[in-house]
Amino acid sequence: MNYTRIRKLKDKYAIVGVGYTPQGKIPGRTAMSFYAEAGANAIQDAGLKKDAIDALICYRQFPAANDEPEATPYLVAQHLGITPAILSQESYCPRHQFIQAVSLLEAGFCNYVLIIYADNAVSGKRMFINEATHSESPAYNFAYGEFGFVADYAMAARRAMHQFKTGPDTWKEIAVNQRKWANLNQIAAMHNKTLDYDQYINSPYLAEPFRRLDASLISDGGRACVVTSVERARDLRHPVVAIMGIGEANPSVDIHQSAYMSGPTGAKKASEMAFGMADIKLDAIDACEIYDCFTYTVEITMQDYGFFNPGEGNEFFKDGKTAPGGKMPVNTSGGLLSEAYFMGLTPITEGVMQLMERCGERQLGEKTGTNKPEIILCSDNGGVLQTHSCLILRRL
Amino acid sequence: MEITGIVTADTTFFWEGCSNHQLRFQKCDECGYVRWPASIICPKCHSMKTNYIVSGGEGEIYSFVIYHVAFNSNFKNKVPYVVAVVRLEEGPHLLTNIVDCDFAKLKCGRKVKVVWRKIGEVTAPYFK
Ligand SMILES: [Zn+2]
Repeated sequence: MNYTRIRKLKDKYAIVGVGYTPQGKIPGRTAMSFYAEAGANAIQDAGLKKDAIDALICYRQFPAANDEPEATPYLVAQHLGITPAILSQESYCPRHQFIQAVSLLEAGFCNYVLIIYADNAVSGKRMFINEATHSESPAYNFAYGEFGFVADYAMAARRAMHQFKTGPDTWKEIAVNQRKWANLNQIAAMHNKTLDYDQYINSPYLAEPFRRLDASLISDGGRACVVTSVERARDLRHPVVAIMGIGEANPSVDIHQSAYMSGPTGAKKASEMAFGMADIKLDAIDACEIYDCFTYTVEITMQDYGFFNPGEGNEFFKDGKTAPGGKMPVNTSGGLLSEAYFMGLTPITEGVMQLMERCGERQLGEKTGTNKPEIILCSDNGGVLQTHSCLILRRL
Repeated sequence: MEITGIVTADTTFFWEGCSNHQLRFQKCDECGYVRWPASIICPKCHSMKTNYIVSGGEGEIYSFVIYHVAFNSNFKNKVPYVVAVVRLEEGPHLLTNIVDCDFAKLKCGRKVKVVWRKIGEVTAPYFK
């Protein structure tokens, strides 16, 4: 596929503000409160007035806990006191938010797009079981004891172990390297907890081959960002972080019928689109922020991106190559595994913050013995490897 | 354990087959593709002309996981148990349990055969 037709979008749109909230375990708050706080903080961080926001895109909303009101996009807009021209919220995780934002901006329907995800998953005791959907009736899956995302991704990882050389020896490197980043990030849930190989191997199995430490965190909190044109971004307060390339792919087939458990996943096609638009090769990438719902997700994504051949992941991740001080830093906030779970906004906003040089102790460059980044590759993934988006961010 | 709602309008033929210990699948009359999940159209050619085949009930483990944690209280006495995708010789990938097995001998590609067990309202296919 030739993507030269989308090359006109290269470096034309930018992410100009990031909104954080208290995160981790924050009892006594509704999911809605995190949506409102993250959104307001992103608008403020961008240096905008709320009335400038003319598009609001929410990540999927999960059923509310504790009889709270559902965090619908209407209610998010109401809490933020905005009446956007464009309002959208996806249902089952297709990772379309940033392509949607760029497309809306390019078409001229709006000027400033606010993208948010929030949840009170820890306090609401969400286990992400009923949230997984499959090709059969829910009762069918219940009958066979099929419960949710951990085992679904573990199924993919097991197939990969059959197809090429991978397994806990590779995944422990990913978990340990990311934990080292979290140890440098004060807001990471695992900031004060170091992790070594023995702790990983002794971590109990949830759904074998996955251990507890292969799985992402569950978090209270929210994350948001604002997308606008590079032209407008130049008048705002932060260094301009442009979307150099973006791509999406949706293999869609349920993991129960999937023939791509061990790749190529949507990461391959989505990255071909993003790199085609950016007109660069993999060797231009300084760091990666990869959607890491599970350790294996990082491996298969980077394998499909072409960083290494199938089965060479262990070689790629070992000796701390993706940890602080490593040649190819990956998930520099600690990621979903060790910082917090805000879907693709955990990796993508971290890419933005790194390029804006706002990352304190974990800042890429001299401080962490890594290359000063100009271009960061980010990913988002949803369902059970059923949807993928790839963003190449660059500091202009 | 009381389970209802397994049968849907699309899968009535499948569960009727199961009650007679037959694994029935739809086969496209146009292109011959054997499909699962059940659907009104063939995902390969969009033909609605459909026949049915009875699978021989033999296949191989495509992938599997061993549940060590009961994510629902009904499964507390069942862990550890095996959830697998079986690739049937006729093509379809079916989510199921591997039963009465030695965990050490489980592997992708291992041959398995259907066995029948009653669950809730239906007789359902398991593999061993
Ligand atoms: Zn057909």
